[in-house]
Amino acid sequence: MSLKGKIALVTGGSRGIGRAITLRLASEGADVVINFFRKRSTAESAAEAVREMGVDAHIIKANLAEPEKIERMFTEIKDTFGRLDILVNNAASGVARSAMDLKPDAWDWTMNINARAALLCAQQAAALMKQGGVIVNISSLGSRMVSPMYTAVGVSKAALEALNRYLAAELAGQGIRVNAVSAAAVETEAMKLYTSDPNIPKPMVTSTPAGRMVQPEDIADTVAFLCSEEAVMIRGQVIVVDGGVSLTSMSPTQTGERGENDAST
Amino acid sequence: MTVEASVEETVKKIAARIIRKPDIVFSPDTTFKDFGADSLDIVQILVAVEDTYDIELDDDELQNITDTAGFLAYIERKIAEKGQK
Repeated sequence: MSLKGKIALVTGGSRGIGRAITLRLASEGADVVINFFRKRSTAESAAEAVREMGVDAHIIKANLAEPEKIERMFTEIKDTFGRLDILVNNAASGVARSAMDLKPDAWDWTMNINARAALLCAQQAAALMKQGGVIVNISSLGSRMVSPMYTAVGVSKAALEALNRYLAAELAGQGIRVNAVSAAAVETEAMKLYTSDPNIPKPMVTSTPAGRMVQPEDIADTVAFLCSEEAVMIRGQVIVVDGGVSLTSMSPTQTGERGENDAST
Repeated sequence: MTVEASVEETVKKIAARIIRKPDIVFSPDTTFKDFGADSLDIVQILVAVEDTYDIELDDDELQNITDTAGFLAYIERKIAEKGQK
């Protein structure tokens, strides 16, 4: 599984699952462009870790809620590298509210970053993938199951998974493979923030058939596989990485979900 | 107009636009929540201020700030630090 010589962009690639994906792709030989939202020092730390693996890292600040910032990011990628081989739409944000308490602004914010940005990034990336490429969208089980206060994110992930299928079909002729990885109960700072809300149950490790919480590295491993030539005939799929928690009869509200709390990314 | 007043007016305009409240006042006795801001509004205010002044506001430092006057003073400090670099 070598990604040597490939150029990858990971949105939200400086922390949590995004950072794990960044480092995993770098470990396979890819040069990585790390998009971050606000904290440059965190992005630079991730870039430093990438460079220690002997590959190139480039950081780009861009608020994915703003289409012009996305466009500017890809212009910088084009000017710097001339092309792109891998796009990982990982960046996500959300406001933790029930459906009845969700305001239009919060809906727009979440949908714009989690779904619309994935579309805009895919459009820009496809233009730089003249020799083909790979797009991986990071989703979560909230797309199909209910978790408390997760309405906006869950709906945005459902939209992302549908987009995943449309992109897979439309871009196949251009030699671009598109798939999604759906994560659940991943141990990240974002999960800790989400479950710090007393209304939201803590993830129950014992209810996961695999016997442990999913780690960011588990998601990253699946992303790396989907980027490899070994996954060439997997198209438009959503690969669930949850340790089997969605298989059990346990209520989803007792298992917790990967998610973002209160407009964080 | 002093630099400090200019920063106050600019940040006030940003906050007023995002929270949709024209009567934002920076004082030790008020928080943005007092003006109806939720967490999303606060993130958007931070992003707009960062973009306007090309500065980075540290979330860990911001957690220690409990009022709007403190918030304004923190922004002014960050602007001054950037100017010294």
